[in-house]
Amino acid sequence: MKDRRLSGHLLVFAAMLLIPAVVHDTFLLRVFTEAVMWIGLAVTFDVLAGYTGYLNFGHSAFFGIGAYITAILMVRAGWHFAPAAALGGAAAGLGALIAGFPTLRLRGAYFAIATWALARAIQQGVLMMDITGGPDGMRLPALLSPGFFYYIMLGVVGVTFFAYWFLLERAPFGLKLKAVREDEQGAEALGLNPTKLKIQAFVLSAVPTGIIGGVFAYWVTFIDPASTLGDLVSDQALVMVVFGGMGTLTGPVIGAVLIFTFKTVFWAYLSDYEVLYLIILGGVIAASVVFLPDGVLGVLPQRRKGVEDHA
Amino acid sequence: MELLPQALVDGIMLGAIYIIIAIAFSLVYGVMHVIDFAVGEWIMLGAFGGYYLFQWTRIEPLLLLPAVFVVFAAIGYPLQPLIHRVLSGRRGNPLLMGLVFTFGLSLMFRGLAQTFFGFYSLSIPSRFSNGSFFFQNGGLSVTISSVRLTGLVYALVITGILNYLLKHTDFGLGVRALAQNRDAAGLMGVNNKRTSAYVYAIYVGISAMTGVLIGMILSLSAKMGPDYTTFAFFVVVLAGMGYLAGVPAAAFLLGIIQSFFLIYLDPGYTLLAVFVLLYTILLVSPRGLFGKGV
Repeated sequence: MKDRRLSGHLLVFAAMLLIPAVVHDTFLLRVFTEAVMWIGLAVTFDVLAGYTGYLNFGHSAFFGIGAYITAILMVRAGWHFAPAAALGGAAAGLGALIAGFPTLRLRGAYFAIATWALARAIQQGVLMMDITGGPDGMRLPALLSPGFFYYIMLGVVGVTFFAYWFLLERAPFGLKLKAVREDEQGAEALGLNPTKLKIQAFVLSAVPTGIIGGVFAYWVTFIDPASTLGDLVSDQALVMVVFGGMGTLTGPVIGAVLIFTFKTVFWAYLSDYEVLYLIILGGVIAASVVFLPDGVLGVLPQRRKGVEDHA
Repeated sequence: MELLPQALVDGIMLGAIYIIIAIAFSLVYGVMHVIDFAVGEWIMLGAFGGYYLFQWTRIEPLLLLPAVFVVFAAIGYPLQPLIHRVLSGRRGNPLLMGLVFTFGLSLMFRGLAQTFFGFYSLSIPSRFSNGSFFFQNGGLSVTISSVRLTGLVYALVITGILNYLLKHTDFGLGVRALAQNRDAAGLMGVNNKRTSAYVYAIYVGISAMTGVLIGMILSLSAKMGPDYTTFAFFVVVLAGMGYLAGVPAAAFLLGIIQSFFLIYLDPGYTLLAVFVLLYTILLVSPRGLFGKGV
């Protein structure tokens, strides 16, 4: 069963590799690149929210740290893109390690509030700094190659997805995280180390997010605190995960694709009413929490059985 | 140095307003076990409600407060069953789901407000806006604007009413019983659903009224919500979640931080300071400054 799922994932991935060969329209390719990016952000968000049961309202901080480290290294130090983005991911991971140690002691809502406060503090800090350009943001050297960015984004997100799939669905690590989610004290009584597991999950969620942030910065060539560190990054990832189905790998992907498609169509036809998007986004979260507790994934008949098997 | 008394007085006047927000917020948390991410948006919507009601009727906004309360309590009342549905049922992590739900509400409200109210910063004109009292003693002088004094009086009145409601009525007894032990309270005949719905309605109404006050004293805009959500969290976390006696100290601290940054430092750093302090307190003592939270 699980191997059949893996071959399904591989098939989808192979199909996505072929997209630039079929799609020659630059605009469409940009749309696909961004869709892949949101899949990555939703999946990384779900590691902590769905598998470990900790809502990280500061997910944008990792994205922003990755983007800014990459931008600073490339613009101010003249680094090449690849090492800069890798270091961006490492910086996000390091940030998760340092912040995670004290923050993950907090449970439930306290954790959510703390990560939210920390992310907004970082955003305010970046607004005030000189090296980041403050509210004016930063401009990166432009590279006009849509295909390159599509493959880079797909590569980063693909590696992340399959690494997660192995760690969370095949290796015992995923089960350990779920044990922490269900009953932290019980997990501890069974000899697990919840603090260590939670920090591992936090770092595991942060590193790819930072790299994705770095790719995003080089791709769009302009970043500012609102676009990379703003609440909207965390908000959208949260909607995608909740709407698709928390605690699974497929759920966030489905959620990301559906929400992003909707967003793109919305912007294409209704861009005069951009704030309407916030209303719909909020409405979708609230409604799916009330009516779709397991997300879209929970509505599909055979999947529901699978969810009950796990429970 | 001569500005020190002014900064303190301004801070305390502002802090009084935050007390009200935090008490209502704590009440909802105590009874319904939900952290309402939409608190700042209720304040924002209330402020606009007051603003438009004033534009329409041209009555002194202070007199409109009861009307704002009634309207928003009526909006909040039917929302409680939805929250109840989210918090109960077969969901894996009800507390987080409650958080996500109110978060969705807050996004929706912010979008609605930006659509209909625009992006401009407004203020609610009041008869009290212009007057002020001036005190001087030697080299030290303090100016108290009458609108801020009104805020203080409002805070005292609402606290008094809430205190009476909680300590001297059957409804208040039910609320306190629910906060202590939901099952036992249910066995003693407290209607959980109805009491929770009333509490949520009161909370929404009070937050909205306070929004009108904030619109009179400072300003209102469609984007103000998240800042006040932060302030509410700040006060409630510093006081200790559910520990009402800690609220005044935390609220005055927040007010004083704001006025000090305004007078002595760069107001641009206010939010940074608030976030850093909130984060630090959560790490050092998640149960609040006094260690008495839940």
